[in-house]
Amino acid sequence: MVRFELKKIISKPVSRIALLVQAAVLCIVCSIAIGNVRYVDENGDTIRGIAAARALREAKMQWSGYMTEELLAGVVEENARISRSDEYLSKDARENEKAYSKKQGFSDIRDLINRAFCGFREYDYYRIDSLTAAEMGSFYERRIDGLTEWLYSDEAVHHFSEAEKRYLIGRYQKLETPLYYEYFGGWEAALQDAPMIIMLTLLIAGFLVYGIFSDEMQLKADSVFFSAKLGRSKAVAAKIRAGFWLITAVYWITLLCYSAVVLTALGFEGAGCAIQLGSSNWKSFYSLSYLQDYLLTVLGGYLGSLFILTLSMLVSAGTHSGILAVTVPFILLFIPEFLRGISALSGILGLLPDQLLQMCTAVQLFNTYQLGSWVVGAAPVILAAYFLLTGMLFPALYRIYRKTEVK
Amino acid sequence: MNLVLDNLTKEFGNFTAVDHLNLSMTNGVYGLLGVNGAGKTTLMRMLCTLLKPTGGKIYCDGRDIREIDQTYRGLLGYLPQDFGFYPEFTVRDYLLYISAIKGIRPAVAQKRTGELIERVGLAKAADKKMKKLSGGMKRRAGIAQAILNNPKILILDEPTAGLDPNERIRFRNLISELSEKRLVLLSTHIVPDVEYIANQILLMKDGAIVSQGTLSEILRSMPEKVWNCVVPQEAAHKLAQSCKVSNRKLIGRDAELRIISAEKPCETAVCAEPALEDVFLSYFGERGGSEHGEI
Ligand SMILES: Nc1ncnc2c1ncn2[C@@H]1O[C@H](COP(=O)(O)OP(=O)(O)OP(=O)(O)O)[C@@H](O)[C@H]1O
Ligand SMILES: [Mg+2]
Repeated sequence: MVRFELKKIISKPVSRIALLVQAAVLCIVCSIAIGNVRYVDENGDTIRGIAAARALREAKMQWSGYMTEELLAGVVEENARISRSDEYLSKDARENEKAYSKKQGFSDIRDLINRAFCGFREYDYYRIDSLTAAEMGSFYERRIDGLTEWLYSDEAVHHFSEAEKRYLIGRYQKLETPLYYEYFGGWEAALQDAPMIIMLTLLIAGFLVYGIFSDEMQLKADSVFFSAKLGRSKAVAAKIRAGFWLITAVYWITLLCYSAVVLTALGFEGAGCAIQLGSSNWKSFYSLSYLQDYLLTVLGGYLGSLFILTLSMLVSAGTHSGILAVTVPFILLFIPEFLRGISALSGILGLLPDQLLQMCTAVQLFNTYQLGSWVVGAAPVILAAYFLLTGMLFPALYRIYRKTEVK
Repeated sequence: MNLVLDNLTKEFGNFTAVDHLNLSMTNGVYGLLGVNGAGKTTLMRMLCTLLKPTGGKIYCDGRDIREIDQTYRGLLGYLPQDFGFYPEFTVRDYLLYISAIKGIRPAVAQKRTGELIERVGLAKAADKKMKKLSGGMKRRAGIAQAILNNPKILILDEPTAGLDPNERIRFRNLISELSEKRLVLLSTHIVPDVEYIANQILLMKDGAIVSQGTLSEILRSMPEKVWNCVVPQEAAHKLAQSCKVSNRKLIGRDAELRIISAEKPCETAVCAEPALEDVFLSYFGERGGSEHGEI
């Protein structure tokens, strides 16, 4: 029965188009992710893509190792040395590019130093130029002090309870230091565009599943369907199964292809590195490796897609309207985007299902939830909550559809 | 097989589509005859568990069909009035799918599908997509679908509507063949269809059965009489205003009328044998309506 349900879906022209679009999206996003990698060679020319990644990896691997005081001091000194060079001081842009070329090997570490030594909510690209090697001893403490200072600043002091503040500082302190550094550009690039491909996959998959339930009414096939022996039991379950397998297959095939292509092109190294090595993750209070962050993102995306698309199927089953069903993913994706600016809502927004589609950005946010004296970050909360909710949607879908009357 | 409808009622808002209907049916062909909106489809939908009655119950061999649910639907074959299907499926796939949701084992389904495709005359179109079939072929796929599970109760909602005379005759014969050892309920507004194949005729009006019986019982129970007369056209026109005219034929300056009336409509009228069509008109026809007897 599931086979026929899948056949019903796949044979629809709309589904065929959706699958073609999906294949195109996969190719485009992969090429964007790979094409975004840039490297300036020693002649000052910019190269992109796989060759750039190879060159970057080589340059960065020279700085690999535990980011101890010495390594950081080495970066500060090397930076200062290049900044004093003729190339750097020259008025010629090409000469400047050549100087920049030499700084690429430690660009990740320089970013972290800039982060550590700027105010918590600031970023100054040239901060490193005014630092001395001797100051690097306080590198990791600066991260914790910066957070503490911010938590008690006017901006945040009322936003977090004492327990939450203690929790966040505790998480910062738990981060194992010194961090181990190696090239992690493949994971960084794959993560950067993961939310994009996850969201596009969700929207496109919406066009595959919206009609599973409402098409019976639309095609007037419902009379025969519901008067058949299993029309209110196994046939309904077969529809749900078909939807589940279709979502699962489309999602995982897309993400496995995406991951395989991007990581193969840009490198698997750095899987074990802490995500705090990434400039945008520096402030994250989650202790995760890049591999863990990636798995979290991909699994979260799957759970989110499953939840949203099952909700869409529920609307399809309940309202008998495919059009309403197909808008569900769009609404759940774009409404939070509009509300993003309102900080009073951040607590609620942190729990909306779109967060699941971008777990790698969710782990950068300071969303915490408190129950009594117990504090947790948003990531485990939404994972658990949506796991349960999704689990509840399936029986609800079954109940609603099997009670359908043909009017 | 025995179906009993007990005070069966369906209301849509404050409109009663099926009104406290009591009926008992066993094996044989039942022809449900009624004008548009009489409630035939609504009644059939309730019989197919597609609609929940707002009152009353349906019993199958003494058991409430709502309680035996799946078991009951296992006995059922239904061809709906607007028969919908999956346009991209081939006839064979469609029948295999319906077999699956009817709980027929795949091996049996294969065999049964093959047989039925032959039987309804779709052998040449078996691997054509459903959307490419003609109206008559779709209807044949529809009947094949309904009898896949060899149902004990076969419900056909206007199975012959929109078919050409050849197809209609074929279809009628098929239904006759099928009527052995099962209960067939078919609705139609095409009077001859009922005359030919129904053992029992049910006349339905405003949600209720107004008359029921074999053809001869129905004809005998007709509350009015049928009259034939030949009158000048002028007089014919007047008569048409005041009586139900079941037929009118022009003969030169005169008109031959077939009139349904309790009393003798005019001096020259002679009593005639009623046909089912006359009974239909007697129950459902409107006096002096311009739709009857005029072209
Ligand atoms: N879902 C519904 N909601 C409201 N009224 C309805 C609904 N379905 C049917 N009706 C009304 O119930 C009455 C009976 O409809 P039904 O379709 O049963 O008639 P029918 O005898 O099958 O007519 P036809 O010969 O045209 O098929 C009609 O007046 C119709 O308008
Ligand atoms: Mg009808």
